[in-house]
Order: sequence, then C-alpha cells, then structure tokens
Amino acid sequence: MSWLPYVVPAWIFVVGLYGMATSRHLVHLILCLSVTQSATYVLILMIGYRAGATAPVFSDVLSTVRATDPVVQAVTLTDIVVGATVTALLLAFALRIYKTYGTTDPQELRTMQG
Amino acid sequence: MSALAPLALAVPLVAAALTSILGAFVPRVVLTLLNLAASIFATVACALLARDAALHGTVVHWFGGWHPAHGVSLGIAFAVDSVSAALAAFTAFLTTAAFVFAWTYYDKDDGAFTALMQVFSGALIGFFLTGDLFNLFVFFELMSVSAYALTGFRSEDTSAVQGALSFAIVNSTGAFLVLTGVAMIYARTGALLMAQIAHAVAGQSDPLVVVAFALIVAGFLVKASAAPFHFWLSEAHAVAPTPLCVLFSGIMVQAGLYAVARTYWSIFSAGLAPHAAGVRDVLLAFGLFTAIVGAVMCFAQRHLKRLLAFSTIAHSGLMLCAIALLDPIALGGFFLYVIGHGLVKGGLFFASGIVLNRYSTVDVEALRGKLRELPWLAVAFALGALALAGLPPFGTFTGAALIEDGLSRAHLDAVGIVLLLAVALTGGSVLNALGRMTFGWGPDPDPQAVTPGEEQPETDPARGVRLVVMAVPALALTALAFAAGFVPIESTAAAAAQRFTDRALQEAVMLSGAAPLALPAGPHISLSSSIVHGVAGALLAIVFAALGLFAHRIRPLWPALKRIYTVAMRVPHAWHSGIVTDYVAWLTVGGAAFGAAMLALVR
Repeated sequence: MSWLPYVVPAWIFVVGLYGMATSRHLVHLILCLSVTQSATYVLILMIGYRAGATAPVFSDVLSTVRATDPVVQAVTLTDIVVGATVTALLLAFALRIYKTYGTTDPQELRTMQG
Repeated sequence: MSALAPLALAVPLVAAALTSILGAFVPRVVLTLLNLAASIFATVACALLARDAALHGTVVHWFGGWHPAHGVSLGIAFAVDSVSAALAAFTAFLTTAAFVFAWTYYDKDDGAFTALMQVFSGALIGFFLTGDLFNLFVFFELMSVSAYALTGFRSEDTSAVQGALSFAIVNSTGAFLVLTGVAMIYARTGALLMAQIAHAVAGQSDPLVVVAFALIVAGFLVKASAAPFHFWLSEAHAVAPTPLCVLFSGIMVQAGLYAVARTYWSIFSAGLAPHAAGVRDVLLAFGLFTAIVGAVMCFAQRHLKRLLAFSTIAHSGLMLCAIALLDPIALGGFFLYVIGHGLVKGGLFFASGIVLNRYSTVDVEALRGKLRELPWLAVAFALGALALAGLPPFGTFTGAALIEDGLSRAHLDAVGIVLLLAVALTGGSVLNALGRMTFGWGPDPDPQAVTPGEEQPETDPARGVRLVVMAVPALALTALAFAAGFVPIESTAAAAAQRFTDRALQEAVMLSGAAPLALPAGPHISLSSSIVHGVAGALLAIVFAALGLFAHRIRPLWPALKRIYTVAMRVPHAWHSGIVTDYVAWLTVGGAAFGAAMLALVR
C-alpha cells in the first residue's frame, strides 16, 4: 500500500485552501475551490486503481478480467456534477457582485462586518 | 410500509419539478396549493414512518431490490428509525409552515423559489432517512446547493448575493472534507452502507479510521455552524428570505449535528469505543466554545435577523455538547431540543419577517418604539425569548432537562452552568431588542457603532388577510413550542435515542436480515428537578436584558462599563470581519485544530 494516494490529494487540498485564504479575485477564489475539490477526485480515483486492470465495462471483455473499482468512478462522476453546479452558481454570484460594486476583490467586500 | 420511505422525498422532488415547469403558465395559487399538498404529504408520510419504526422497529427500504447476500451489501438502503423519521417529519412540517408564510410573500415568483424550497426540503428528508454514507453526502450536497441558490435568490439585492457567496464557499469546503473522509473509509472497508462500514471497522482504531472520522465530523460541523466554522451562518441568515431562515435555523444546522451523531453511532462507535472519552472531550470543547461565541455575539447585534442567527449558533453549541456526551439520554434530549428550538426559532423568525415586511427594516435602533402598534407581535417575541432561555413548559425546556441530566451524570455541572448562561444570554438579547422596539428603552445608539448592511424590503407591506396569513405560522409555531412541553415524550425520546445508538442491532437488521425490534419502554425521567434550572434561565435572560436596557442609567458606573464592554468586544468583532477569505482561513485553522485534537486524544 502506497502513501501516494493520500499525500498527493492532501497537497492539492491544502494548495486550494491556501489559494482561497489569500485570494484577491473572486474568480480566482472560485477556481481555488475547484482545485480543493479536485483533490477529492484524485483521492477517490486513486483508491479504486488497480495495477494492470482495465476499465470496469464488461460489454466486450470477459467478466473475469481484472478491472478497476467501478464504485469510485461513479462516486467521482457524482462529485464532478456537484462541482460543476457549485462553480456555475458561484460564478453567477461573482458576476452579479462585480456589476454592482465594480470590484472582484473579496477583501474589499465587507458590508457585513461585525 | 417501507414504500413510504422513498415516497416521502420523491413527492416533494416531483412537486419541485412540476412547479418549475408549470411556474410560468399556471396561477400562483395553484402552485402554492400543489406545494402545500406535497409538504403535508411528506409530513404525514414521515410521521407514519416514525410511528411504524417505534412500533415495529427500523423500516428498511432497499432501492432496486438489491438486498444484501451473505452479510454483504452492494445496494443502497434507507434505514428509517423513529428518530430520523421524526426529524424528517419536522423538516416537512417547517416547510409547510414556510409555504403558508410565503403564500402572499413573493407575488412575482414564477415558481423557481418555491421549487428550490421544495428541493431543499426533499433533500433534507433524504438526508435524515438514508442508511448509506455516500447517499448521505449526495443529499447533503443537494440540500446545500439549493440553499446557496435560495440565499442569493433575490439577485437584485447584492448583499444577498454576497452572503450566498460566503455561505457557498465555506460550506462547499466543508462538504469536501466530508467527501474526503468518506473516500478514506471506503478505501479501508470497501463499503459505503453505514452498517457495512461499522461491521468492518469494529475493533479498529488505527490512524486512518480516526482521520476519516475527524474529516467527516469536521465537515458536518461546518454545516452545524460550530465555532470557528460558524461565520457563514450569520451572513446567510441576515440576507436570506425569512421563510428560508426558518428552515436554516430550525433544521438545516441541526441536520449537520444529526449527521455527527449518526456518523459516530452508526459507523464509528465500535471502532472508536476505546477512545470515547477523547472524542467526548474534543466535541465538548468545540460545543462550549460555540455556545459562548454565539451568545456573546448575539447580545452585540442590532440587526434582528443576525441576532437570531447568532442565537442559533449558541444553541447549536449546546446541542453539540449534548451529542458530545455520547450518552443516550442526553442524545434523546438533543432530538427533543432540535424540535423545541426549531419551533421557537421558527416563530421568532416569522415574527421578524412580519416586522421586516411592515417597516422595511430589521435594525432594532430604527424600530425604536414601533412595535407598540402590534402588541400581539411583541408578546410573541417575548414568549420566544423566554423559551430560548429554557423556561418551562416550552419544548426547549424538556430537551434541555434531558441534556442537563446527562451532564450531571457525567459530573460536568460546570459545563451545564456555562450553557445555561449562554442560552439565557440569547434569550436576554431578544428581550433587549424587544425592549427597544416596543418601549424605546435603552441608551441612544452609538453613532460610531457598526451599522449592519441595509435590508431591502422583501415585499409591499401586508395588510388585512395577508397579514393574518403571515401571523398564523408565527403564532402557531410559538404556541406549538409551548404545547410541546406538555407532551410526556421524554422517556420515549430516550428509548428512541438508545435504539439510535444500538449499532449491533442496526447491523443485524441491515446485513443479516434480523427482525427489527419495537422500541422498549424508556427509562423513567423526572423533569421536576430541572424546573429550577429552566426558571433560572428565564430570570437570567431578564437580568441580561435589563443590563442591556438600563445599565446606562447607573450614571457613575456607565462610562467604565461601556468602555470595558467595547474593549472586550473588539476581539470577537474583529473575528467576524465579513471577508470570505478570512472565513476560509478560520476553517483551515479550526479543521486542523479539530483533527490534531482528535489524533492526540484518540491515540
């Protein structure tokens, strides 16, 4: 069992968090959120990986052939759908904020202090 | 009976789809009736499921007939026990009340808002009923995304969009933590069904299991608005439409807490059993911190909806402490408290919605003396405030009494006193605001004080029948919260919570096809000893309110008092900077602290 499946996603996750915490542009902020989310794609896909295995589609191969775990692929697909929805919604919010305040810097948006 | 379980969320989701398709063509009243019917159906279905689960044991529904074979499950199941069904029924009930309140609220809505509310409600119902960990995450995300969209729904109001942005960024990050944890536990066990995972991790508490547990719980604590993950909540509540605030404060935050309890008891309790004391201490520390931060910030607010939002944070801290005890009776108290608090807070938010509708502001200072025109509303506020402080016989009292019982059995009476002060302070904050709004009491507002973002009027002021339609849910929820205290449900709740924590039975029912068991008779619980506690809370609330309203009349002390207060509040005010990037930083710090504490204490 390798440590890589855990170290690589942890790194991506932390990079994304760092990007979000220091962001000065809303689009950058939203994309950093996507980066954080891609850590979960990488982790989940790596978990289901099996060396030398084929894709888990059994229409043209025998069902005894070694295949990767189909569950993780379904999980990743669901995750990607969620990610696309959230990103689209957030970008719409960002556009709306820019049109009103004329700024895309999240650190200048502080109407709700305290 | 098990067919009712999927229907309880399918009907709201179908109603949502119909509403968004038909929204532009059919009259508004048809849409409202359709959605009311769907929510009432979901309420009744979940209530029947709760009754059935209490009489005959857990109701299990395997989707597509994928039953487990030889103790191994590949399917996805709903595992409905009396607790989860009761919370699902409460969700649908609050949604019904919100639809009644919103009846004449959004005249221009073409159905999108109603449809999103219905999706939100359906997702929450699924969240409560499911017995599968990944399914839990999917419903969590569905609920969250519809909540973001609903918060930013009035896109012409940019503060709403900004609040929705903070809400979405922080909560999505929390959801990724949950998903990472789910992935790690799948890596270890190859299972996603809760009972199957529990079977596989029994007796294992190596670092990977602990880290997975910490990630899942930390993610759910973001939704539960535990400090320091709570910053999104006050912003989302300040800007969200009133009917939505009722659902956010009444059940969404508590759903996060429910998931913490579910994750521990249904999945990890066997694996982490040797470290239960460590888990308890970490969760208790977070719960206490949350209660204190929420209560202190609550008192400092002059924006009514933000004030109620911070009170939700304080009460969420109390509820987290109840779960943290890992004690079935305290857990039963948590479930009762969710319902009692949801009714009270729902009534208070509806009442503020009426204020907002009438005066186009929820700034307490701008409302000075105005509420004298609506004495019945002032009474509703006062009752709600006392109920928040735990005055018997309100529903909050029953829950708090069971939690207090758990605390004193664990020899944590000091924690109980801090929690009592915290909830009394939230009640006092509402009374303080009420004294200003009704009688114009209190010192003149500090011109240098932070003014909250201006609230836009949600609709034209309601008169006549429309006002009655808004008043009915506000008063009904408060009345129900009062009546709830007279229902002798405490021992049933304790029995249901006992069953909720019975992982071995859940495993036998889910995996080996064992017959589910009816709820046993609960332990006898005497509430009379807690009455003093509850009355003390209400009296303390009045004292806090009096301090807020009249301390300025003690001439010699006032300047010093004011100075101390201002200096002391500078730090928490600085934390709540209103900048989303800071919130992400707090989330990182809090998540790291939570994970480190878990690993250190659970070693």
